[in-house]
Amino acid sequence: MIHFIIVSVLVVISTILLGLFLTNAPLLPVQASMQAETVDWLFGIHWWFIAFFFSLIVVFMLYSVVVFRRRKGERGDGKYITGSHRLEIVWTIVPIAIVIWMAVIGASTLSDVERRDPQAITVDVFASQWVWRFEYEVPVQGEGGETILTAITSDTLVLPNHRQVVLRLHSEDVIHSFFVPEFRLKQDVLPGGEAFVRELRVTPKEEGTFKVRCAEICGQLHYAMQASVSVVPQAEFDAWLQEQSGECNLGDAECGQRWAQTYGCLACHSITGETVLGPTWLGLYGSEVPLDDGSTVTADEEYIHTSIVDPNAQIVAGFPSGVMPQDFAEKLTEEQVQQIIAFIMSLQ
Amino acid sequence: MRFFSTSLFRGLVAQILATFVGMAFAMAIRVVVGLPVSSADPELQKHITEVIVIPGVIIGAIGFMVGVGIFKDWFKWARGKPTSDNHDPDPAKPNWMRYFSVDYDHKVIGIQYGVTSLLLLGIGGSLAMLFRTELAQSGISFLSRGSIFEAILSKPWEVLAGQQYSPEHLFNTMMSLHGIVMIASILLGVGALSNYLVPLLIGARDMAFPRLNSFAFWINVPGALILVSSLFFGGFDTGWVGYPPLSLRAPLGMQMFLIGVYLVGLSSISGAINVIVTIFTMRAKGMTMFKMPIFAWAALATAFIQFTATQLIGLSFQLVMLERLLGMKFFDATAGGDPILYQHLFWFYSHPAVYVFILPGLGIISELLPVFSRKPLFGYRWVAFSSLGIALVGFFVWAHHMFASGMSPYLRLPFMYATLLVAVPTGVKFFSWVGTLWEAKLTFPTPMLFVLGSIVIFLLGGVTGPPLGTIATDLHLHDTYFVVGHFHNTMFGGYIFPFFAAIYYWFPKITGRMYNEKLGKLHFWMMWIGFMVLTLGMFYVGLLGMRRRVVDYDADLGFDPTHLIMTIAGFAIFTSVLIGLYNIVRSARRGAEAKGNVWNSRSPEWQIPSPAPLHNYAQPFEVVGEPYDYGLPGSIYVNMAPAPSGPPGAE
Amino acid sequence: MSTQAVADNYAVKLGRNRLGLWLFIFSDMFVFVGLFVARMVLLGPNRPELNQMLGLAVTVLLLMSSFFMNRAEVEMAHGNRPAFLRNTFITMTLGVLFLLGVVGVEWQIAPFGPADGAQGAVFYSMTGFHAFHVLTGVIFLYIVWNNGRRGAYSAEKHWGVEACAVYWHFVDVVWMFFYVGLYLMGSPV
Ligand code: HEA
Ligand code: HEA
Ligand code: HEC
Ligand code: CUA
Ligand SMILES: [Cu+2]
Repeated sequence: MIHFIIVSVLVVISTILLGLFLTNAPLLPVQASMQAETVDWLFGIHWWFIAFFFSLIVVFMLYSVVVFRRRKGERGDGKYITGSHRLEIVWTIVPIAIVIWMAVIGASTLSDVERRDPQAITVDVFASQWVWRFEYEVPVQGEGGETILTAITSDTLVLPNHRQVVLRLHSEDVIHSFFVPEFRLKQDVLPGGEAFVRELRVTPKEEGTFKVRCAEICGQLHYAMQASVSVVPQAEFDAWLQEQSGECNLGDAECGQRWAQTYGCLACHSITGETVLGPTWLGLYGSEVPLDDGSTVTADEEYIHTSIVDPNAQIVAGFPSGVMPQDFAEKLTEEQVQQIIAFIMSLQ
Repeated sequence: MRFFSTSLFRGLVAQILATFVGMAFAMAIRVVVGLPVSSADPELQKHITEVIVIPGVIIGAIGFMVGVGIFKDWFKWARGKPTSDNHDPDPAKPNWMRYFSVDYDHKVIGIQYGVTSLLLLGIGGSLAMLFRTELAQSGISFLSRGSIFEAILSKPWEVLAGQQYSPEHLFNTMMSLHGIVMIASILLGVGALSNYLVPLLIGARDMAFPRLNSFAFWINVPGALILVSSLFFGGFDTGWVGYPPLSLRAPLGMQMFLIGVYLVGLSSISGAINVIVTIFTMRAKGMTMFKMPIFAWAALATAFIQFTATQLIGLSFQLVMLERLLGMKFFDATAGGDPILYQHLFWFYSHPAVYVFILPGLGIISELLPVFSRKPLFGYRWVAFSSLGIALVGFFVWAHHMFASGMSPYLRLPFMYATLLVAVPTGVKFFSWVGTLWEAKLTFPTPMLFVLGSIVIFLLGGVTGPPLGTIATDLHLHDTYFVVGHFHNTMFGGYIFPFFAAIYYWFPKITGRMYNEKLGKLHFWMMWIGFMVLTLGMFYVGLLGMRRRVVDYDADLGFDPTHLIMTIAGFAIFTSVLIGLYNIVRSARRGAEAKGNVWNSRSPEWQIPSPAPLHNYAQPFEVVGEPYDYGLPGSIYVNMAPAPSGPPGAE
Repeated sequence: MSTQAVADNYAVKLGRNRLGLWLFIFSDMFVFVGLFVARMVLLGPNRPELNQMLGLAVTVLLLMSSFFMNRAEVEMAHGNRPAFLRNTFITMTLGVLFLLGVVGVEWQIAPFGPADGAQGAVFYSMTGFHAFHVLTGVIFLYIVWNNGRRGAYSAEKHWGVEACAVYWHFVDVVWMFFYVGLYLMGSPV
């Protein structure tokens, strides 16, 4: 009997210590969405169960190891106990009760996480090996003053703070997965068109920039498939939309820079001279580019043009082929390509 | 050199020949029906190579089986020739040759399984060491271009699969291969345990179907070879789950993965049927189901899962192969297929499979605890039924791997409930173990250390299950290192540690010699501590959002130190296992004689001389008591009389 | 039950073989269930447009074959070898006809190929997997027939025949479901 009392005390102590540690240690990233609050609350519950059951078994075990070990010169066997149906029933029923309750709160937290807000704005997320692209629909003034919707693309996911957003997830090739640790949310992105579009609802509550990272292995550069998410105040967000949706009436190079932004070129090409996934653009124009077939070409406008619309035509030495998306010919207008080239030329 | 006359050697030669014959055959057919046998377009060329190589590989595998001579009797029967039932080895052959030849003795087959399993463990572990080295710090350095890996692999990849070398692809390949090779290793280890132990424990002279039994082992050999060869056929970068559409685009190595795993699965199925029939029909006199040594229950529950669920991973893999070879649109969503379908078929096996990994291990724990506590197993029937319970519930939880997959939402809740329910039978086991330890007379030789260590580790793996089981938290944890931590704990606690416990425990029975206790303890502590460090690190980075299956991670996430420590810990585990193997190999030759009932256990296999003679028991014994009545004076479990040797029962 | 006796007692062995065979069949069943599930997921309320007459014909063939298979087994149990051989042979022939009907004709006249969308995948995989089983069944039948000619079986000892019969009936039952799934259920696409 005395043994039981001692062990029970030890179990309680160890549970409390372990529980306090788990609940207070910085084990989770910053909490940047309303959904995260619910999730973290549930984590809190789990920590305590983990603390309890781990202590329960381990403390009992260690206690037995210390107290019930065979002393020097001791002979004979342990106490003859074959079991106890009463105990067995207890430790079947109690866990059943616990898991049922767990399942219940599991269900309620899930519905919290998925609660819909009618005001939610919509963003279309396009995933392809290995880039993210985000499309917004914005109302703009047409010639006749009527408002028409134009779609704008961006390589960063810009979100208004404290406003629920519905992310409609499209994949253009294989399965990817949308994951922002700070939001505590994840949803696979399926190929196959409308029928396979999945939605993810998130309500940011912290301004700042985070990273969306692809969480489902999707081939060679899966690890590098990331884009930045910036949560900004509503006003700033609206301004950004307007600015993006406006016709680009700056100089060619400036427009080129914007397209390079929005079409995700800069995800792979630095303009600072460092090598990301693709060669840097700094000083590219006019330079002698070594190709993987051993030859070299001078990077004139024409070469750069082909490199954009048909990347695999010439592969730069030391870089994999088939990495750069093949479909920019469709995605970009000829004018945009020209402007991007102008931008690249400006990088000397 | 006698080796050249072993089945193994003949099989390998036959496999190589058959592979080329098969390829030639496939090519011939293409020529006949007027399809191109080569093409300038690299994409088309890849496909052509594939449809020519794959038939070769399959026929090669069959060739191996014919070569080892497994079908001999069946062919005879088919030609109406009489076949003998005397499976005894040819006394002319030296003993070592039996292990490289088709042999029908369950103990030999058990060893064959075990050694193959260790080899795979070695391969898988070495792969882990390689990619852990890459992960030790952020940035891609170890595998990078110009490393020896490129020197070794770039040519074969280029030639065989039209795949050009890249460190990322190599990492993905090694990571995926590590996963699946380790799982194959477990499946073989499970085969080793149930083949060696079940007949001994229930007092049978052999398994029910000896021919099928050795077939089940040998099919693993071509399976493993093909599986590992994928490393040279361009690898595959899909993880061990091989989700389409990615697995439809992966290089030729993908097919090697599919075929290899399929063959191993075939082995699981036939092996499992054998185990079930053996346990149901060959128990010794007086051994009712509830008087079997508890491991037999575990083996039974395992077999139930294996011989049913395995079919579906086989099917899902075949469908992927068909889609790759013939363009049948099962999973290509753009053409009417459905990628989610694959995930359901795959996990319908692969979740129950994880219980295949652990049930035998847990059986070992329950088997050894009473011996070293000198105390009855607490609640025998409950422990026995909990195995069945786990196996049963395990069939209704598969979609918990798919909470984030975008399957129909209404499926999620029921699967969450079922998933959490598994905690209950598992819990029963833990509590009963604690009950067994309570007021015992514990001793701590190496096997016991491994048992106790595995309880802690498996517990850690288990309690991290529910956070994955509740959807809201899983949405954060899915595909992070937290999951990786979870399953390494469950697999080590539920399989690796008990497996080594079993090796040390039955080592005297197998070899008639004693292992080295000091090295054994060293092995345990190094492995246990190393492992704890490794997986606590995994949990930590996982919670902070570290994704799985990435070759590199942003330095500014601040994971570098943790990853470095994890890598070091990984190497500690690796060395510890090396020490263990050294111990085994050395003691097998030089260890002190250990003939009698080393652990003074009650169970029958210890009442006969070691190593156990052919056909185990000279006379059939009779069960007259409970298996685990330690501490009950004068009780015995089995009555060996008239026994050729050994004292009746334990005192 | 003493292990020694087990080693060479036909009755005991028969028991084991029966158990083993049924376990195998139960296991094999899962493949077909899986295929059927795939069909439900991919085609749902639709079905591939196929030649109904042909479908019916091959189904009837297979049903009849099962009947003769049963006759064969019963005859053997009564030790009537000629009748056993005759019936086995008929079963075998019907099996071959079934194969010709499905693989030789249906596959050729079907308006879609294996690579044509979901229905191609479903139809060819289901019929293909089943045809493979029929083929193995026919081979099994041939072996049994051949061994029977050499007098390998007797009224008491004819496990080979029994096994073959069970397997054949299983393959037949599977087709009953597949026939419904492919030819009758839902509306043609
Ligand atoms: C080796 C075997 C093994 C075992 C035994 C388990 C056991 C469990 N697993 Fe695990 N699991 C894997 C191997 C295993 N798993 C693998 C390999 C993967 C990853 C696959 C991949 O994606 O690569 C995985 C992934 C995985 C996922 C998917 C994660 C994701 O990808 O998002 C989930 C989700 O529910 C899960 C849950 C569970 C649960 C609830 C248990 C339960 O069985 C645990 C039950 C045990 C306990 C709970 C502890 C003891 C019980 C008590 C002390 C009683 C009281 C306890 C309570 C009331 C809580 N596992
Ligand atoms: C039983 C299963 C098993 C075992 C034992 C291990 C052992 C180890 N595993 Fe893991 N692992 C998996 C199963 C296993 N693993 C699975 C299923 C995955 C998922 C793959 C996927 O995501 O698709 C995975 C993934 C995985 C990852 C995640 C990869 C990623 O997502 O990017 C990591 C990372 O650290 C890792 C590390 C390790 C380490 C360091 C060990 C160490 O413990 C290894 C230590 C070495 C050994 C235990 C072998 C020692 C043996 C010898 C020295 C014998 C040599 C002699 C002879 C040849 C006979 N493993
Ligand atoms: C996923 C990564 C990725 C993205 C996104 C990407 N590229 Fe590239 N790009 C590469 C890689 C890798 C190479 C080098 C291999 C090659 O030449 O194809 C490359 C090469 C180039 C080159 C030739 C550079 C040289 O040094 O010769 C140009 C020009 C180029 N890309 C322009 C673009 C433009 C414009 C965009 C966006 C509209 C873009 N890239 C988007 C990966 C990318
Ligand atoms: Cu996209 Cu991983
Ligand atoms: Cu699971």
